[in-house]
Amino acid sequence: MKSWQLDRRTLLQGVGVSLALPMLNCMGSEASQTTRPKRFCAAYFPYGSVFQSGNSEFANWNWTPTGDGSDFKFGEIHRSMEPLRNDLTMIEGLSHPNGRSMGGHDTADIWLTGSKLTGSRMKNTMSLDQIVAGHHADQTRYSSLVMSTDGGVGEPTRSSTLSYNRNGQPIPAQNKPRVVFDRLFGVTSDSVDSQRSDLLRTGSMLDRVLEHSRAVRRKLGQHDQKKFDEYLASVRQIEKGVERSKQWLEIPKPRVDEVGLSLDADDSTPQELIQTMYDLMFLAFQTDSTRVATYQLGNMNGATSIAGKFPQLLGLGKNMHTLAHGGAKGKGGEELGKWHQFLADQMARFLTRLKSTEEGDGTLLDHTIVLYGSSNSQTHRNANYPLMLAGGHKLGLKHGQLIKSDEQTPLSNVYVTVLNQLDINSDSFADSTGSMDELRV
Amino acid sequence: MQVRFPITVCALVVCAVQSSFSVAADFDKDVLPILQRRCVACHGPDDINGNVRLDTLSTNLVKDSAAAETWHDVLNVLNLGEMPPEDETPLTAKERDVLAGWITEQIEHAVRVRRSTGGQVVIRRLNRTEYRNTMRDLLGLDLKYGPNLLPDSPGEDGFTNNGSSLGMSALQLESYLESARSALSRAIVTYDKPVVVDAVATETTTDKVKGNWTSILGRSGTFVFRSTEFPDEGDFLIRVRARAILPDNAPYPQLRAVLGYRADTQTPSEEVGILEVTSEEFQDYEFRGRLETFPIQSRSQSKYPGLLIWLDNAYSDGKPPLKPRQEVIEEPKAESSDAVVSKNEKKAKPKKPKTRTVYPLDPSFPKIEIESVSFKAPVFESWPPAHHTRILFSSDLADRDPVAYAREVLARFMRRAFRRPVATDEVDMMLAYFQEVRPTFASFEEAMRETLAMVLVSPDFLYLVEPSSGKSRTLTDHELASRLSYFLWSSMPDDRLFELADSGQLRDSKKQSAEVDRLLDDPRSWNFVEQFSDQWLDLSGMNRVAVNPEYYPTFRNELKPHMQRETQQFFNEVLRSDVSSLAFLDSDFAMLNQPMAEHYGLSGPRGIEFERVTLTKDQQRGGLLAQASVLLTNSTGEDSHAILRGVWIRKRLLDDPPAPPPPNVPNLDQQDRDTASLPLKEQLKEHRENEACARCHRSIDPWGIALEEFDAVGLLRDRIQRKSGKKMLEFDVDAKATLPGGHEVDGLDELKTHLLTEKREQFARTLVSKLLSYALGRSLELSDHETIDRLTDQFIASDYRLKNLIQLIVASDAFRTK
Repeated sequence: MKSWQLDRRTLLQGVGVSLALPMLNCMGSEASQTTRPKRFCAAYFPYGSVFQSGNSEFANWNWTPTGDGSDFKFGEIHRSMEPLRNDLTMIEGLSHPNGRSMGGHDTADIWLTGSKLTGSRMKNTMSLDQIVAGHHADQTRYSSLVMSTDGGVGEPTRSSTLSYNRNGQPIPAQNKPRVVFDRLFGVTSDSVDSQRSDLLRTGSMLDRVLEHSRAVRRKLGQHDQKKFDEYLASVRQIEKGVERSKQWLEIPKPRVDEVGLSLDADDSTPQELIQTMYDLMFLAFQTDSTRVATYQLGNMNGATSIAGKFPQLLGLGKNMHTLAHGGAKGKGGEELGKWHQFLADQMARFLTRLKSTEEGDGTLLDHTIVLYGSSNSQTHRNANYPLMLAGGHKLGLKHGQLIKSDEQTPLSNVYVTVLNQLDINSDSFADSTGSMDELRV
Repeated sequence: MQVRFPITVCALVVCAVQSSFSVAADFDKDVLPILQRRCVACHGPDDINGNVRLDTLSTNLVKDSAAAETWHDVLNVLNLGEMPPEDETPLTAKERDVLAGWITEQIEHAVRVRRSTGGQVVIRRLNRTEYRNTMRDLLGLDLKYGPNLLPDSPGEDGFTNNGSSLGMSALQLESYLESARSALSRAIVTYDKPVVVDAVATETTTDKVKGNWTSILGRSGTFVFRSTEFPDEGDFLIRVRARAILPDNAPYPQLRAVLGYRADTQTPSEEVGILEVTSEEFQDYEFRGRLETFPIQSRSQSKYPGLLIWLDNAYSDGKPPLKPRQEVIEEPKAESSDAVVSKNEKKAKPKKPKTRTVYPLDPSFPKIEIESVSFKAPVFESWPPAHHTRILFSSDLADRDPVAYAREVLARFMRRAFRRPVATDEVDMMLAYFQEVRPTFASFEEAMRETLAMVLVSPDFLYLVEPSSGKSRTLTDHELASRLSYFLWSSMPDDRLFELADSGQLRDSKKQSAEVDRLLDDPRSWNFVEQFSDQWLDLSGMNRVAVNPEYYPTFRNELKPHMQRETQQFFNEVLRSDVSSLAFLDSDFAMLNQPMAEHYGLSGPRGIEFERVTLTKDQQRGGLLAQASVLLTNSTGEDSHAILRGVWIRKRLLDDPPAPPPPNVPNLDQQDRDTASLPLKEQLKEHRENEACARCHRSIDPWGIALEEFDAVGLLRDRIQRKSGKKMLEFDVDAKATLPGGHEVDGLDELKTHLLTEKREQFARTLVSKLLSYALGRSLELSDHETIDRLTDQFIASDYRLKNLIQLIVASDAFRTK
């Protein structure tokens, strides 16, 4: 359309609407034409990690490797990542600019959204994983798997979930391995039954509405009919989505043996619990039950998070928050570092499982992008997040490097690249200023 | 979102050849010879440069859209001076004028024809406001409906009820379904009479962090009420017993209630309301709302369980509260024995006294004293509540024959939702769905909720459906009822309108006229006042403008809503008091409340309620053009903006919008030092001296220059300040302008006189067109001109009275036919 058809007032008034459009585009669920599944997974730990000065006696416990580019050396925390070094990139210096002006404990909510939680309503925006899920939803039984240690949604700025839907509302996280397993592989459960009847009902409602609307259309004048076709098209589009979801009801779930899984692990046995959650993500990907998973290892609600006591239970002396506060100085770095070493070991185990499972011309890991990190550097500091991006060789990611960036670059630039490598042609995410080309082959 | 300099301005650059004012040219006689002489050598049979041939290009832009595109390109290169090329003799001003004039006119004509709907109202979806109001009136429940609905884009006239611009998408429809299901789960209850929480406090509790927790609310101070018990949904009532402490002549204090909870360091919350405390005796002040529309704790994982209500004084004069001081409440204890002292003499530090923080009160500031606060929820008059029994009415049929009962429930609901009688087969269709889903639900109520949700996503509910065979026809009584109620209430017809439509009386002109009066007397008609005045005058436009505190250090953004409300109240007063609409051009009264009167430096009411204030001649606040809303919207937030103000007058008051600026015109660069150091008229010199600019701008700029006495926030000024680098420059106010036609005016007073004497009929016609377009929910077309002319004559003959114009519109064929 040429400019003469719109006067400037109209263009200005349209701004609010057109801003919403890039988002809408992301939410289209046209089948992506790929031969292999393309997956995304994000795992988050609270309060940041160890960032002591390079001269410190305990600098070997720092999260960030030493060196630069491909010539980098892991510290103690990531010793178990050494065999995986060519499958991952360590990224230094990035954060969400919006988060920098938020409270020290307030940023877990925006790790995957890049939003600024302001105003009394504190409304978030759609998270990275959900944009990916929206795009690939029709390929799998579940659009995404959302998990955390605390479960549910928590409170704004103390969220217990990493995932937010298109309206910025938090998506409740699962925290019981047994429940997750039953949902993914179990025969049926109440929730599946009710999901099934919801779908069947909505499908039937839309059928009837469509039929009725066709009758309405016939009574309309010519101009009205043209306008009214928007309505019919909308009904049909929703109906298609329901149809796709309904098809999954007819397909039996994959059979997975629960032997070897600690499905009854709970917060009294952190290692079993965390391993089992990663195992469930692995199985969900392996069986192609979903292509998107998020896992929040702990929220930043120091007072109530049930993950807070994990380090103590593991014999690391203090609770998570206290360790984090001590980590900035001297030997506190080692104490906190050991907790992070434990966490990295669990992540390495997960990555190794993905890597040792063949898929097509590569491995599961080659078709999965894994984001691992936090939204603090040292506790309460909302800049220079500890970040690792792993997997996705076959999705065009380049690895085996340490990327040093600075505060000028928003973390959202990485997310734009993640979206692009997952076939989502979005040129922006939240406050991005471009993409992160160093990550691409 | 506020944009600093959101408007591209055609200024300072020689570029514009616009010609909406030139006399229509004849193609063969006027245009073709110029083309032959100046263009065809390169764009003709011998040479087709750029693949553009002009001598044979179709002149029917309506039918040949490819030709229209090419003509449009031609216009652009003419405007930009790209053709003829540099080495050729340029076109004379007259040649350019003829060519550009003819092309512009043809394009505008083609656009009009393509957009034309033959003067018919296009099937119209309820816009967001209408949807919310309709849901509220249909269900008898005031919820925040459709929070996820996208904002509606306005049509070309700026109205958001234009059927052609109101789109539908899958996302939108999903939001409607979500909204319907969630609303019905509240409207129809499935549980027994709930336990009512009823808690009272006479003293403030403390919120988590330190603060001024008190019963006296002054410049600072908050009364906090905590209820550990609270239901998840339902109406709540907060009753505050309070009085005002009023120093002489102080404005009334404003009691604000905010409801929410504490989430660690944050407090998700939302304002319930603000009530003015006007009495110095203790009285009850009541706040009401629906719990589920506020942030409510999820009851899990919380460090600070409970619902919190914060009460404070929303009145502010912009000054900070007095600084708190420490007051000793206990002196340090005397040491017990000299021996100890001497022993530890060197180490002993003087012990500190125990203190507490005291927040001093400002005696001249209006305060609120709180005696008690109570919180009650859920509040209901009967159980099940009225919104439940309105749908699931009490009947012995319910047990005896559930299907027959379901049919009756549906028939009654559908009639109201579809705003017309429903046919048996329509009820059957819904009933079939009910019967299908009934076995999948535990209760009748749940199955009915689901079925009614289907009613609420049906086109008959979401759209104003007016069936048609293509030919014009008279509206049915029920269609007429809807047109009336959506015009004047932005909502569905009420019972009385339904009755009149049912009995076929609404088309009776006396009955209809009485109904218009009744609708206007109903408080719901505030929707009309708000929506129409806002969209006609672009009042929300002020939200696009950020006021720069370097220029206006005392300006507070909280004033913006009052500015907007002032103009809405002014519109309301012109409507209600049935005075001449010429009051919009000039009036001997203003609508003011305390903040606005203070802003203007006038004496006025003591509180936030608007009152009619009589103006003396020298007070300069009569009419729309003296209102801060209009002046701020058309400013840069730092200074006035003569061009925007001029465009606003032409577009909003005279319905003569200037042609849009040609493409590729750079912004008027406020940061450019050379430009910034010039007075406005110097800045706009190009607009006068360059003939190409002047063609448009001589009829835009003067209108705005006449308003130069007013700064960005709408205050009168003697000097104009402008920042240039680090310096603040000052200029004299120069509001002398020569309006089109050679009328000299100096300042707003003379401008108003000019408008009232020379432009009153044009203004009347403008108001008629805007109101008609809003009433019909469509853009006006050439075929409407006769109607507009007639209505304008009648409007003028009836002394420009707005109520009369509404009656005239409602009685017109355009309003009463499809």
